[in-house]
Amino acid sequence: MLQVDNIVTYYGNACALHGVSFRIEENEIVSIIGANGAGKSTLMKSIMGVVRPRSGAITYQGENITNLPTHKIVGKGIVYVPEGRDVFATVSVQDNLEMGAYSRKFSQKELNGLYEEMYTMFPRLKERRKQMAGTLSGGEQQMLAIARGLMSKPEIIMFDEPSLGLAPIIVDEVFDRIKYINQELGISVVLVEQNAYMALTASNRCYVMENGKITKEGKSSDLISDDSIKEAYLGM
Amino acid sequence: MQGILLQLIVSGIAMGFVYALVAVEYTLIWNACGLLNFSHEKIIMLGGYVFVGTCITALGMSNIMSAILTIILLGIFGALIAVIIFIPLRNQTRLIAVVATVMLGQILNEAAVLVWGPVALMPKNFLSGVFTFMGATVAKSYVYIIIVAVIIIALLELFFKKTKPGKGMTCVSINKTASALMGINVKVSIVITLILSFMICGVLGIITAPIFTVKQQMATMIALKGFCAGVIGGFGSLPAAIAGGLVLGIVENIAGVVLPAVFKDAVAFALMILFMLFSPKGLVGVRDHVRNLQENRKQKKGKVNI
Repeated sequence: MLQVDNIVTYYGNACALHGVSFRIEENEIVSIIGANGAGKSTLMKSIMGVVRPRSGAITYQGENITNLPTHKIVGKGIVYVPEGRDVFATVSVQDNLEMGAYSRKFSQKELNGLYEEMYTMFPRLKERRKQMAGTLSGGEQQMLAIARGLMSKPEIIMFDEPSLGLAPIIVDEVFDRIKYINQELGISVVLVEQNAYMALTASNRCYVMENGKITKEGKSSDLISDDSIKEAYLGM
Repeated sequence: MQGILLQLIVSGIAMGFVYALVAVEYTLIWNACGLLNFSHEKIIMLGGYVFVGTCITALGMSNIMSAILTIILLGIFGALIAVIIFIPLRNQTRLIAVVATVMLGQILNEAAVLVWGPVALMPKNFLSGVFTFMGATVAKSYVYIIIVAVIIIALLELFFKKTKPGKGMTCVSINKTASALMGINVKVSIVITLILSFMICGVLGIITAPIFTVKQQMATMIALKGFCAGVIGGFGSLPAAIAGGLVLGIVENIAGVVLPAVFKDAVAFALMILFMLFSPKGLVGVRDHVRNLQENRKQKKGKVNI
């Protein structure tokens, strides 16, 4: 569905990705794990066109999207929920959701239907729909960021560190919703995580990144029992 | 005495709205691309020249039609400048864009002399005359400025709060990358911003033409004081810009009576320096400070009760 071939990305003169290849098929959850600075977020940003790869190709459903501007990539059905949530703090919760649907021309009726759908999935957002997004707690902001991502009815949604800075009980809730999005809504999910155990248990396949390269890939169930992964990422 | 006071307040509010519109006009651009438009003074001047020099004098159009055509032309010019200057330079070092806008101002300044000549122009029968009520004599142009400014501010409010492109522009001002990730076309949003900003400059050129006459330096003072208004209100916020403009206009006009008249212009800059020293966030900072004090007091009361 989405195929990344051998991309090389630089920040100024510093090379952040040294030829990374990655793919995701329909209805999969694929996770990417690795330490800070391994290049996980850069890979996501390269896919979204926020940073441009110097070489390599990104293909989405047979179409080369490597050099498309970000808003067009979103229009094609790929959504990225960035690290640190990035909700629009001084805008109301409901307007944040409306912005999530910016790339689609929905009628007011369709929009209202989507709001209801999101509020059923995240009831806490309904209570707070008129509040400014900046007044929400970290967990609520993460829920809002996820809901905002879903508003454009994407085919692939990519989560960057959704568990970052959240209480363990909220982390469980977030992962619960991510599984629901994949299983019930049929959306393919890319999950970038430092929390390797959560990522491996939630995903079908997993990529391990180190210093801008993919060092291992395979079925998550295999990797979770791999000795080197256990030692480096699971602390066992 | 009462009449004079009323007169001062009305003209103070009118000038306040002029400063507020200037502050709004450059805050829009600041929010959309993080750049200050240092040519805004000359864009206002351009509005005045196109209105009086081209539309009324050369084309012989009526005042209303001239005003409409001027605003439309300035909007088109804004789109052009967005494509030529603001979009290509938005990710460069700030200094490059600063120099580019300063130079744009210089080009317009010199072009104005070539096109419209060095003599100041004055629109005839446009917003002239006075209203007299309650012993006060108020120039009609001041009353019209207030009406026009209120309409523009209300329209902007509607645009930013109720329409999809307006909400999108608010989000672009908060976080550009996140906005692009929502599918908002940041470049289009910059073009819309420049069009809006230049149209407001056009309006400013038109409504201040009877007060300052149309000449190269017509907008120098209001452009500088509009900047003061932004700082006094709180930089980067539209409601703060409007509040700052009104405060500045009224304070300045009353100071013109209390102090010797030559100090009138200095008051705006002195006020700005005071705000920069004691409340760098402007009136917004003062409001937050008061709010914190109140909350501290509440918390203290709470502790006593426990």
